[in-house]
Amino acid sequence: MIGYILRRILQLLPVLFLASIGIWAMLYAVPGGPIGIILGENASPEQIAALRAELGLDRPVVIQYFDWLASVFRGDLGLSIHSREPVLALILHRLPATLQLAFAATIVAMLLGVPVAIISAMKPGSWLDRVLSGWSALALGVPTFWLGILLILLFAVNLRLLPSASVYAPLWSDPITALKSLILPALTLGVYVSGVLARFLRASLVSEMNMDYVRTARSKGLPERQIMRAHIIRNALLPFITIVGLQMATFIGGAVVTEAVFTYPGLGRLLIQAINTRDYPLIQGCIVVILVIYVLINLTVDVIYAYVDPRIEYR
Amino acid sequence: MNSLRFMVRTLRGLMSRPGPALSLMYLALVALTAAFADFLPIDPFKQDFVMMLEGPSASHWFGADELGRDILARVIYGARTSLVTAAGAVAIAAVIGVPMGLVAGFFGGWRDAVLMRIVDVMMALPAILFAMALIAVFGRSQGAALLAVGLTGVPGFARIVRAQVLTLRRRDFVVAVESFGGTSGYNMFRTILPNSWSQILVQVVVLSSVAILLEAALAFLGVGVPPPTPSWGEMLRTGKSYLYEAPYYAVLPGIALTLTILAFDTIGRGLARILENPRDVAAAGGPV
Repeated sequence: MIGYILRRILQLLPVLFLASIGIWAMLYAVPGGPIGIILGENASPEQIAALRAELGLDRPVVIQYFDWLASVFRGDLGLSIHSREPVLALILHRLPATLQLAFAATIVAMLLGVPVAIISAMKPGSWLDRVLSGWSALALGVPTFWLGILLILLFAVNLRLLPSASVYAPLWSDPITALKSLILPALTLGVYVSGVLARFLRASLVSEMNMDYVRTARSKGLPERQIMRAHIIRNALLPFITIVGLQMATFIGGAVVTEAVFTYPGLGRLLIQAINTRDYPLIQGCIVVILVIYVLINLTVDVIYAYVDPRIEYR
Repeated sequence: MNSLRFMVRTLRGLMSRPGPALSLMYLALVALTAAFADFLPIDPFKQDFVMMLEGPSASHWFGADELGRDILARVIYGARTSLVTAAGAVAIAAVIGVPMGLVAGFFGGWRDAVLMRIVDVMMALPAILFAMALIAVFGRSQGAALLAVGLTGVPGFARIVRAQVLTLRRRDFVVAVESFGGTSGYNMFRTILPNSWSQILVQVVVLSSVAILLEAALAFLGVGVPPPTPSWGEMLRTGKSYLYEAPYYAVLPGIALTLTILAFDTIGRGLARILENPRDVAAAGGPV
């Protein structure tokens, strides 16, 4: 098992290496390069020369890259151009809000997606199945930012039940504010993911239902509900775990848009602010952190998958 | 297969199903109004300050925006932005991704390893974040939005074409061309590629739906096609600021966007079903 994990990490290394070069090169691809970003366009040659020496830009490119990589490993992502605060601190300040949103949205997605999949897989092709499949298609097709706007129109503008702009409050210290602020964003993000979950779980349930062991169970006279619960769902859960895990990772992308709808103070909003103010060290830092989270989630999914399914070889 | 007959039969297959048929008709309507918008009595830029944020009326069927511009006119011209960006982005994705997949699958070895690692890197971030990172570097412009959305589509094409090449690579007709002295280029582009069109076509349609969503999302986040060019995402972004004053503002652009995305998705899934099962097409189009 440990060998398997190590091998998966080894396979990730070239991808991470190439990605890190891409992220590092970002600053150099911007017109004006790192100097232009910090000093602007109207800097004197002396200032430029001084900064070049200070930042070490007169050294060979390869050394500059590895120097940057080493500082990333030390947790040093540089200083934000605008606030002059360490990038990592700014990101860590916002991260809990995004994680809380992702967690709440996962729960919504499971609550909506799993029953839909099971009910439609009971009788594939029935009218109920078609209606529910239509619902999944709709959940996938409606852009999250429009759904969010509609939810605000209904619950904030018309019914005045929930706030239209969300704040972040930790769930454990201020649960009421946290829930009020989380319901709409979590619903917005969760509905989309529930569509993905429902589609995949239904497909994997239906394919399991045609297996021989199900026919055997049926010929033994087991009731349908028990076959579903004890046999089909158990086996269909394996591919499902992967999908849930991968969706957790894309949550980060969806969260950026959802946070913008509800002006929710998470990592996504930080990234958008950074792009709008051309705060490149902060942009770079956000992308590094998101990449690391994304890769870690995918790795964890692989490991859980291998752990749950003994058919996967660890060697 | 005769390509014209193939097209007619595929189209008939799509039209024989209610979902794809409705979707095709809707997209045709959107594309036609967008293409001939200049001949319609509408102006997406004319400001009518008296009507600012007013609701639906005889002069503005779907109301007017914060500068008194006609919302319906801006939705129609916004369709142009969406469709043109989608078409351009899909073209960029195909032009880069298809040759990548062909070379990776055909030669295998180090070329495959290098190209597929590049694809992995492009997929190491969610598409929207990858596109945002690219726009952060290029600066915000119509071209940057197009290129960013296009590049996020490259991995899809590369992977699908590569998988298709791998299934065709050892087939008799490919080996035959090789043994007659056909060059690798000839084999890839004249033998394998023509046999991969249906997979590529499905990917084109599916990616169009994704590209339209991404373009709108970027505009909504304020990093897409810059104003004053009308765009659905930008309209939703502005509409969100006036939810209390003008609740109808975001409705029409949202409906247009959602229906367009759903239509491309429905057609894509219908196509996949038809093309994977050629008998289905034949049955729909009568005996061949």
